[in-house]
Amino acid sequence: MSMVKLTIDGCEVEVQPGSTVIQAVRAMGADVPHYCWHPGLSVSGNCRICLVEVEGMPTVQISCNLGVRDGMVVHTQSAKARAARKDVMELLLINHPLDCPICDQAGECKLQEYSFEFGSDGSRFAFPKVHKQKHVRFSEKVTFDAERCILCTRCVRFLDEVAGADELDIVNRGDRNEIAVARGGELESPYQMNVIDVCPVGALTSTDFRFKSRVWFLKQTRSVCPGCSRGCNVTVGARWNRLLRLVPAENAAVNRWWMCDDGRFTYKAVAAGERLGAPLVRRGGALEETTWDEALAAAVDGLRKCGVDLVGVISARLTNEEIHLAASVLDEVGARARGHVSRTCAQDDLLRTGDGNPNAAGAALMGVPAGVPSLDGAKGAFLCGDDLDGDAAALAALDGLEFVLYAGTHETATMRRAHVVLPGVTSFEKDGSFTNVDGRVQRVQSVVAAPGDALPDWK
Amino acid sequence: MGLSPRLLAHAPPIGGRQTLDEYLSHGGYEGLKKALSMKPDDVTQMVLEAGVRGRGGAGFPAGRKWSFVPKNTGKPVYLACNADESEPGCFKDRQIMERVPHLLIEGCLVACHAIGAETAYIYIRGEYPQAIAAVEAALDEARAKGHVGANVLGRGGRCDVWVHQGAGAYVCGEETGLLSSIEGGRGYPRIKPPFPAVEGLWGCPTIINNVETLANAAVIVRDGVEAFRSAGDDDTTGTRLVGISGHVEKPGDVEIDPATTTIRELIEVHAGGVWKGRELKAVIPGGSSVPVMPAAAIDVPFTYGAVQAAGSLAGAAGVIVLDETTCMVDALVNLMQFYHHESCGQCTPCREGTGWLEKLVTRIWRGEGTLRDIDLLDSVADTVGGAQQGKTICFLADSAVMPTKSFLKHFREDFVKAVEEGGSPVFRARRKRGAAAGAGA
Repeated sequence: MSMVKLTIDGCEVEVQPGSTVIQAVRAMGADVPHYCWHPGLSVSGNCRICLVEVEGMPTVQISCNLGVRDGMVVHTQSAKARAARKDVMELLLINHPLDCPICDQAGECKLQEYSFEFGSDGSRFAFPKVHKQKHVRFSEKVTFDAERCILCTRCVRFLDEVAGADELDIVNRGDRNEIAVARGGELESPYQMNVIDVCPVGALTSTDFRFKSRVWFLKQTRSVCPGCSRGCNVTVGARWNRLLRLVPAENAAVNRWWMCDDGRFTYKAVAAGERLGAPLVRRGGALEETTWDEALAAAVDGLRKCGVDLVGVISARLTNEEIHLAASVLDEVGARARGHVSRTCAQDDLLRTGDGNPNAAGAALMGVPAGVPSLDGAKGAFLCGDDLDGDAAALAALDGLEFVLYAGTHETATMRRAHVVLPGVTSFEKDGSFTNVDGRVQRVQSVVAAPGDALPDWK
Repeated sequence: MGLSPRLLAHAPPIGGRQTLDEYLSHGGYEGLKKALSMKPDDVTQMVLEAGVRGRGGAGFPAGRKWSFVPKNTGKPVYLACNADESEPGCFKDRQIMERVPHLLIEGCLVACHAIGAETAYIYIRGEYPQAIAAVEAALDEARAKGHVGANVLGRGGRCDVWVHQGAGAYVCGEETGLLSSIEGGRGYPRIKPPFPAVEGLWGCPTIINNVETLANAAVIVRDGVEAFRSAGDDDTTGTRLVGISGHVEKPGDVEIDPATTTIRELIEVHAGGVWKGRELKAVIPGGSSVPVMPAAAIDVPFTYGAVQAAGSLAGAAGVIVLDETTCMVDALVNLMQFYHHESCGQCTPCREGTGWLEKLVTRIWRGEGTLRDIDLLDSVADTVGGAQQGKTICFLADSAVMPTKSFLKHFREDFVKAVEEGGSPVFRARRKRGAAAGAGA
């Protein structure tokens, strides 16, 4: 099909037939203000902020629902278009609460952005605002403020169209309209927290993140979710060296604009339980803190003694770089078998793969297959990033070994059976890469510093 | 003048319903027989040549609308009859539904034949129980005699006609809001494109016509194009049913020749003149949404073009008459309460703006406004919408804006007086009675 040629703000643009004007504007690297339109959702055309002027058309048009035509001449910045958008902006704000100082969306709020861009410096509206429900529990994860809501219906459409869960709708009429959970229940979708991200204002907020931090104080780092082998791209928000939230980062080839709720909470494991902060060696039956030099010397000594009778368990939660190095160590020693602990997670058609290891593909490519090799007849084991806490028989087998080297992040039953313990770091504390279920290698970046002397396993 | 009614010819007096036998005795369903003997496109062509424009208010030529149905999509085609008649001041469609319902049913069947539909829905407002009962009773008769159903008039073609009862929302009279409502969803008007003729009910091609438009379609096919065009002019062909209400001696409906009947004649001849011997102040000619006309402007024929040239719209032919004692602030408060209440809330300007307009005019009404508030009201109306603005999906916001703008344009002195005299006459009288607790009527 031949491309459609049109002129936008004086620039000639070629776009695919069937595109809308807003898509054409974005294709040229510009944008039109929008609230209800979202590239991953159907067009609803209700916010009316994306109005543009088109030559030959008597009225301003919403660019989100206007199909491109050859020879079309569009003005996104004409006086008429700007005036129409300014009118809509004024109306959006007349009943909107002025609670930006305590609103979680502040700093990433489209109302604030467009107000700044072309809003008024004052309001002509001198009446009490319409009052609606505040801090409504939509579920344990999502909190709703009806007064902040601009009724764009992105949340309704996300759940219906993407998550396949028709759980939200609008009730009442006119300026009494509110979003409500259908049939009076709570949100149940495992993807429900995406409604927080698609909400252009502060109406839908994360119960977990609420009031934790102003977003502009967050250190925002692009990384990969460690929750499953999909490898959803994420932006990790941290402050005070603490992880505070994970939100999806757009990647058309992996997760589009979305991620699952389970993935968002993977950061909780980092600070949960007892983290290992120093290398340990077993002296007379007890694990004692030591230096890296001593611990590494003890590790090398132990591994060498095992030789071919060493079994390696290298986690598929580690980065490619770490797996490669750990595998090299096993090669060097001549270990007889290696594998990684399989993990399952929820599985569906949207994102969740059912494989709870973020780097299972990377591990397999580097010769570390799924499954823990048998410890029968082995003298020693190198557990790198994985523990055997879930397997009572394997755990018991560790007791019979001459040497157990454990490199991990948390205190575990496996770790307490080790002779040498090397403190590792989580995927939020190191740089590296994961290979996702489709074989795509994606960069993992350090967000926060690890506790104590813990080091990435490649160091 | 001197017109013999067509739509209401042989209609029983108000309260009565023409039965199928009575209808047949006056040539009923002859139009359908004729239509079924014609090719569908020829029926459309006939309606096109007759020039009948949509009687629901927009005045779009019905034949052209029918011609928009795409051919061979593999999808069913639907007809939706807009019998919501939700525009304040309009009550003409109920005359057809209550008194001559078979004319409407015949019109539906003719239209279905023309557009290739086998199913028609008549969406009747819930506040019209008599109309619903009359159309249902007529449908029962028509089904029993084979005019409606699996084998229309024994010619093998299927056409089902169903009544769908509205639940009281003004916006469901907007054609795509009506479709959403029939589908069981919120009565939200839909963005266009897609246009209903391409994607309407359940994503299938759908034509939406007003009751009177469809009744006219039956008349056109029965009597022929020339006979139809003998009433009206080239701009507005055929007769018009007009509802006259407000400050007149004899409110009611009348079928007129729009080319030869002026608005003044509607009031003075057909409605017995302004009541109580008073002078006329203003007329809202097309239902509450259209611009108000001052008394001096009403010597124009009731055609779409003539009324538009005089600064208003013939719309859905609901002529609301206001006498000299009316304070236009009182009237506008009433209208703004209505539009604010009825906004579906989908589009920002309408959701937020109709409430703002009501608040502003109420403030003036209560004598709490200033002269600047009058200018602000005018300016906020422009912010919300207006004809040829395109700020909203449907015309509800514009329907609130048009009266506001025109009331201020023609009757600003009433607003100034309300500011200076501590409220409108009605408000002050109520307060005097100690009953002015709120703006509620």
